[in-house]
Amino acid sequence: MPTFKIDDREIPFEPGETIIRAAQKAGIDIPHYCWHAGLSVAANCRMCLVEIMPPPGRPAMLLDVLAWDKDKQDYIPQKKPKLVPSCQQAAADGMVVKSQTSEHVDTARAAVQELLLLNHPVDCPICDQAGECRLQDYWLEHGATKKRMRDEPVHKPKGVVFGPTIVYDAERCIVCTRCVRVSEELAKDPVLSVRERGNLNEIVVSPGRQLDHAYTLMTEYVCPVGALTSIDFRFKARVWFLRSTRSVCTGCATGCNSFSDFDPRNQKVYRYRPRENLAVNKFWMCDDGMLDHRRIHEGRVLEARVSGANAALPTALAAASEVLSNAKPDTTAVVLSAEHSQEDNFALLSLAKAFGFGNVYQSGRPAGPADDILRHADKNPNTAGIAALGKAAGLKSFVEFVEAIRAGKAQTVIALGSATPTGGGAAALADVKNLVAISTHEGAFPERARVVLPASSWAEADGTFVNAKGMAQESEKVITPQGASKPAFRLIAKLATAAGKPLSWKKLAELRAAMNPPARSSVAPESASLGAE
Amino acid sequence: MEPLDQELDEAELEMPTEPMLLNVGPAHPAMHGTVRCVMELSGEIIEHVDVQVGYLHRGFEKMCERGTWSQVFPYVDRCNYVSPMLNNVGFALACEKMLGVTVPERCQWYRMILGELARMSDHLTCDGAMAMELGAFTPFLWMIKAREMIWDLMEEETGARLTHSFGRVGGMASPPTEHLKENARAVVKHILSVVDECEKLLLGNRIFLDRLEGVGVISQADAISLGWTGPCLRATGVPYDVRKASPYMKYGEVDFDVPVGSASDCFDRFMVRLAEMRQSARIIEQCCLRMADSGPVNVSDPRIILPPKEEVYSTIEGTIQHFKIVMEGLKLPAGEVYAYSEGGNGELGFYLVSDGSGTPYRVRIRPPCFLITGGLERVITGAMMADVVPSFGSLNMIGGECDR
Repeated sequence: MPTFKIDDREIPFEPGETIIRAAQKAGIDIPHYCWHAGLSVAANCRMCLVEIMPPPGRPAMLLDVLAWDKDKQDYIPQKKPKLVPSCQQAAADGMVVKSQTSEHVDTARAAVQELLLLNHPVDCPICDQAGECRLQDYWLEHGATKKRMRDEPVHKPKGVVFGPTIVYDAERCIVCTRCVRVSEELAKDPVLSVRERGNLNEIVVSPGRQLDHAYTLMTEYVCPVGALTSIDFRFKARVWFLRSTRSVCTGCATGCNSFSDFDPRNQKVYRYRPRENLAVNKFWMCDDGMLDHRRIHEGRVLEARVSGANAALPTALAAASEVLSNAKPDTTAVVLSAEHSQEDNFALLSLAKAFGFGNVYQSGRPAGPADDILRHADKNPNTAGIAALGKAAGLKSFVEFVEAIRAGKAQTVIALGSATPTGGGAAALADVKNLVAISTHEGAFPERARVVLPASSWAEADGTFVNAKGMAQESEKVITPQGASKPAFRLIAKLATAAGKPLSWKKLAELRAAMNPPARSSVAPESASLGAE
Repeated sequence: MEPLDQELDEAELEMPTEPMLLNVGPAHPAMHGTVRCVMELSGEIIEHVDVQVGYLHRGFEKMCERGTWSQVFPYVDRCNYVSPMLNNVGFALACEKMLGVTVPERCQWYRMILGELARMSDHLTCDGAMAMELGAFTPFLWMIKAREMIWDLMEEETGARLTHSFGRVGGMASPPTEHLKENARAVVKHILSVVDECEKLLLGNRIFLDRLEGVGVISQADAISLGWTGPCLRATGVPYDVRKASPYMKYGEVDFDVPVGSASDCFDRFMVRLAEMRQSARIIEQCCLRMADSGPVNVSDPRIILPPKEEVYSTIEGTIQHFKIVMEGLKLPAGEVYAYSEGGNGELGFYLVSDGSGTPYRVRIRPPCFLITGGLERVITGAMMADVVPSFGSLNMIGGECDR
């Protein structure tokens, strides 16, 4: 592999790769605003300027400049090397690049930083970006010069509502055009553009339009400053109080890798951020996925219920185990859920096997909008996973489940999950006499269940989800289980114990060991698990 | 029935004695804080003593690892709480050594003035309390009254009498007040008169002298091997003073002597402290003469020092600077450093380890008291029970810095 030198460090690169990307892969951060690995090159912020040494025996390209001489109190002519943006310059074999070690680069970056802050408002205390703002980080790292401009800064529109998800502040904007490029290149909807020039320029939405495509929150995500803010996250939390865990979006079958940002003090998830995984979601997530964190706290089943009334968990478990003990294998159905992780579904399958229930069906959320970017029509994170898990047990579809209810073959039902794929299915559930639902959210199952056991959501337990491409990905636990909820696999284990047929595993690691050889390896030949960072 | 006129051996008339275990402390008025001495007494003679520290349960070194480097100042304030300014400056010096910066000259003189006043406050407290514990209440009141004047001056300068939290990495929280020199000279003048008066009052007192002279003796070799520093070491005749041995700030440029004792008993320790106050007065006068009345106090590097408030509220650069230093903390380069200065009781060392982030990785404090208290056992073993009071008093153990 060809190599080049940056600040005396030799790093390899793929032919055609830019200096900044190759450096980033080697763990060297060249400061930048407008460049993003997933977008085209704009080279307009000039923050990533580097000095490239001339090839041996060749003169350096020099510019004539006037420099202020303190002693002479006058400008004197000087020469300075022509700097190049490392985001645009392709690396070449044997190239010698100076980034931190060049005084010219230092001066240039300090000047860029000073320019960007000329008209910047004093907004840090009320800005959602504070704490993860490039302007803040780079000001201290590069230059740290005091304000020299005495003029009133240029004032521009603030709090401009771009659409249902995004608010724009033109004064904070450095017009790096990342949001413009996201709309154009990722969402294929060029709804944003730049108006005016110089210090008057700002981002605008096309006349008659709103910023309302399916990837609007990516514009906010790529914004290196606080110009674009998400209405969902605006003024909700300060980022330095948040902690992150590596999770997988459960909004659809794509299984985008994400970070869940939560406040450990009140155990609340405040937002998702995309986590780079070139094999799955590259750098991005869709709006539906980004806002899916709300479901962690909204519409949840947090108490056990028996016959519609709240009950303590032991009471509900006793009621459920009674249902289980009285069930006859011919008229009992077990329903796996594509909403739940492999671990939860495996636990239910183990329970079915222990009690000799042979009728296994599947359920999940109804299909939704899709595109050829990231959004998958299947809105369940684990359809491929339960298909593989239930293969041996003869997993049948939800339609067949509804038919079985109609035929009286499903008088007792042990179901994982909350939602049903079609409207008709929900009505059919009313005919089930003994329904035990292990549910995270309110929905058709818990509504019609005789016994409801409150299950933790994906954010409150570790879990494996198999996406549409067949990749098994692990999602880490973010917060502690809310209310009386417990991870579904734990509830199932308790239920089995209460009914007198304890399962062979107790802990998550044991469950995974039991599940692993057949279940996980068969579905994930090229497991991406936790994506490349 | 035994005959009453039985001839008895003289020795058998003595009371049969067996060693008595006596707990002094951890909460005892003579223990100057929470230290516990388990004494094995034979009559009034201390046969063995087990000195136990660690009853304060503060864990300040661990707490230092939670916040930013600047947030360590309130913790070091509470180490030796009689001379917190010396701790503040000592810690600031350690951080500055790591950063490789030197504060402006004006700040160095300022730190020296406040530091020497703090040293006087320390010595006044120690000598005053020693006298009081031996029954001489008047000198105590006079000395504490003089100390009050120092604390008033400190309040004027820093806003707080005792725990100032006034030091900053790269400078001080605020510049000297307009009347600093005037006030300092007035305070010093009063203190010197108090020192003279107390000296006359006490040194002509037979009881006082008898209870100090030849009591609590430790050999020079023992003191050195125990790691003693400060007045207690100098009382044994070793002229080790960090200000002279490895001058920091401007101590190399001022004239002062290092008073030493010879008998290394309680009396010498008492006298060394009195003499040091006179030396501190000399240093303060020289600092007052040489400190500029205007000029910068803090370093100008925006990565280290907070910007003025008016800049924070009116310019984005100031806001960012404030935000980064407050929220993330100033960043010390990764590495480790040991920096030491002369505290009230001896060498006050800070061993800092930084991982390059805004939060200390490790702050280890070498408090002079910890090592001196380690020698208490040797000082009072074999002494009379009553000698514990002057001996312990003259070592000037400060609970705050002794415990970890």
